[in-house]
Amino acid sequence: MNGRYYILSVLILWANLLLAQSASFTASVSSTQVAAGEQFQVDFTLNGNGERFQPPNFNGFQVLSGPNVSQSMTSINGNTSVSMGYSFILAAVKEGDYTIGPATIYVNGHILGTRPLKIHVVKGSPQQARRMRQQQQAIDQVPAADLSKAVFLRASVSKTKAYIGEQLNVTYRLYTRVGILQNQYDKLPELNGFWSQDLNEHKQPTAAVWRTEILNGTRYNVADIKETIVFPERSGDLTIDPFAMTLVVRVPAPAHDIMEEFFGNSFKDEKVKLKSPPIIVHVKDLPAAGKPVDFSGAVGTFTLSADLDKKALKANESLNYNVKITGVGNIMLVKNPTVGFPPDFEKYDPKVTDTLSKEGGKIHGSKLYNYLLIPRHEGNYTIDPIKFTYFNPATERYVTLTSKAFPVAVAKGDRQTNVSALATDKQDVKLLDKDIRYIKTSDFGLTEQGENFFGSVGYYLLLLLGPVLFVAAFYYRKWLQRHNSDIVKVKSRKASKIARKHLANAQAQLATKNKSGFYEALFKGIYGYLSDKLNIPYANLDKETIAEALRKRSVNETLITRLQDNLDLCDMARFAPVTGISEQEVFEKTKNTINDIEDEL
Amino acid sequence: MNYKRVIYLFLVIAMPLVTFGKGDVKALFDQGNQLYQKANYKGALAAYQQVLSSGYQSAALYFNMGNASFKTDDIPSAIWYYEKAHKLSPGDDDINFNIRFANLKTADRIDEAPEFFLTKWWHNFILMFSLSTLSVLSIAFILLGFLLLTGYLFTSSVTLKKASFYTSMGLFVLGLITILMGNRQAAYFDSHKQAIIFSGSVTVKSTPATAAKTLFLLHAGTKVDVMETNAGHVKIKLANGSEGWISAGDVKEI
Repeated sequence: MNGRYYILSVLILWANLLLAQSASFTASVSSTQVAAGEQFQVDFTLNGNGERFQPPNFNGFQVLSGPNVSQSMTSINGNTSVSMGYSFILAAVKEGDYTIGPATIYVNGHILGTRPLKIHVVKGSPQQARRMRQQQQAIDQVPAADLSKAVFLRASVSKTKAYIGEQLNVTYRLYTRVGILQNQYDKLPELNGFWSQDLNEHKQPTAAVWRTEILNGTRYNVADIKETIVFPERSGDLTIDPFAMTLVVRVPAPAHDIMEEFFGNSFKDEKVKLKSPPIIVHVKDLPAAGKPVDFSGAVGTFTLSADLDKKALKANESLNYNVKITGVGNIMLVKNPTVGFPPDFEKYDPKVTDTLSKEGGKIHGSKLYNYLLIPRHEGNYTIDPIKFTYFNPATERYVTLTSKAFPVAVAKGDRQTNVSALATDKQDVKLLDKDIRYIKTSDFGLTEQGENFFGSVGYYLLLLLGPVLFVAAFYYRKWLQRHNSDIVKVKSRKASKIARKHLANAQAQLATKNKSGFYEALFKGIYGYLSDKLNIPYANLDKETIAEALRKRSVNETLITRLQDNLDLCDMARFAPVTGISEQEVFEKTKNTINDIEDEL
Repeated sequence: MNYKRVIYLFLVIAMPLVTFGKGDVKALFDQGNQLYQKANYKGALAAYQQVLSSGYQSAALYFNMGNASFKTDDIPSAIWYYEKAHKLSPGDDDINFNIRFANLKTADRIDEAPEFFLTKWWHNFILMFSLSTLSVLSIAFILLGFLLLTGYLFTSSVTLKKASFYTSMGLFVLGLITILMGNRQAAYFDSHKQAIIFSGSVTVKSTPATAAKTLFLLHAGTKVDVMETNAGHVKIKLANGSEGWISAGDVKEI
């Protein structure tokens, strides 16, 4: 008893831990169907620490042993769990249906009870009653007909209602109460409509971790044969395919003779085909509300990070841009994020590195996108922030993550690379000359800026110069024509000119001492002048008509007389020598007379 | 080339508008040329720049500046200067050649939308001579025409009369054509605003806003037509007909 108190006192120290867990108190029976007289075991297990265990009243059974108290304490990863067990070995007395009532125990002042157990007692044989349980994983004495109850496969899924892309865990479990000799997986589930990833797969069920589990009051040896993580890929009712395996189990066989019966060693190896029942999972579409257009299909919880290896570089150098999406969920199904690179960057498809782990029954992982970029031209660019949206099935909300924007300063690249890059684009480079044409060294066209001669005032003035000149010339000609249209007037206007010509001729004759020529010229000068001036034909000219015409124009009488004297003198001098007056004097006199008449008229 | 000399001589004599006293500027220009010859392109560019900042310009000046920029590997500037020179002297073969050559160094290759052949001819026609040449030619034609017509008024010889009349009419036609050419050329350059892209890479947007959708990309040195300006953005049109908006800071108007 001392030991028991010691253990209890230790357990009290752990009380706070134990309080955190809810205690469970279960009852189990090694077999729900027993033969009369057969021994069987009833276990009451408390998952925690309790006191004042009160066994039920085993009416209709004979208690062969018990209560056998056992305690265990396990510590896994710092979590300590305590369990207490009370077991009884009973023997059925009479056939019929019996119920073992609840056992009770106090845990922290609360009373806990077990479920009642139903036991069906059939008519038994004394051999069976005698038989003792050999081991924990005992092969039960079940009839072959009941084999399906003794060994079966079950599939369980963590959730039967899920969103597309939400993680589900499917576990295929083998329940057995019989010994397994051989096993073989027949058909692995195909899991159509799911993306699946095996979490644990045991080639042999025997390699799995076995544990005991009570199902409907019956203790089974249970192993998780296969655990799979699945992600539904489409909506609707999807079926999780059954899992099938073939086992060879050892079952008790009916005795053929008395000897066999006596030794009780009659077993039979039987082949059993097992198949788990299919499970229907209802898959919902992701809600449309708040769903971004570029939704990548990520469901779970994620984080996003991005970085750029350089902030400044030269054109044609390379740049690495890394985007990392980390999280729990369907990371392997996430589509590449759309990255807003400056359109002028040469970009290549990203190198994607996936890292997945399946720890704790969930897919953790990261996707690393490595983009190689080559800016081809100088300038200041910005790599736009990346937006990554995922659906969180726990909150049923879309979450959008945004990375930072990165400025990139691209300096002018090296010329060589630049040119070669261009040369590949442009095929006709080689067809042309190799260099630009030389500068112009003579320049006579330097003008002031902003000045355009064409259309300026000076331009129009110069343009108008022509017409103005022409109009002036035109009117001058008109005037000239009008001026010359009256012949008499023209003649009279020209008279003095002609006279002057004759006088000049006379002067020339005088210089050559040709007297007759001189007087002839003088005479012609006067007569010509008068003929033109007075508009009298040359032939009609005589002294009287001249005088009359002059008088008509009211010329001074003395001047007329002077003219007549002068005419006589010239007339005479042509034929006879003149004395008393020199030729020069005659010339002067004639000239004066003509001038005077010109003045008078 | 000789007629040009005559024309410029005429310009100098006839027009007080032509600036005199530009000896310093001429010296600077020559200095720039010497530096260029010694392959000191940056120095040459600086000298030319001084000429420009003292208020003078010429097709040759812009052409040389374009060459110096080209040699210093500044293609957008080179094209810009060449285009400036082209505007002053549209028919110059050297200028047009260097424009084409410099355009080979740019990143964008824009296939020109085929122009209606008459339009093309027309543009080639009105851009045959520079505006200053055209203005001088038009004045010369018209003045000569009227002089001959005046001669027609005063001569008495029938042959001379006939000859001077028809020649003057011919000169008038030529004069009117040159005036028309000058007028159209001025209007062409006036309405045809062009610009060169100076930023290394420019995204052309669908609306005049920075957040707008990207239509296509342009690179430094590409010539674009400027359609309109709005809120710090300019609407541009490419030779292939594509249109879009870019930030006004990315281009420099010719």
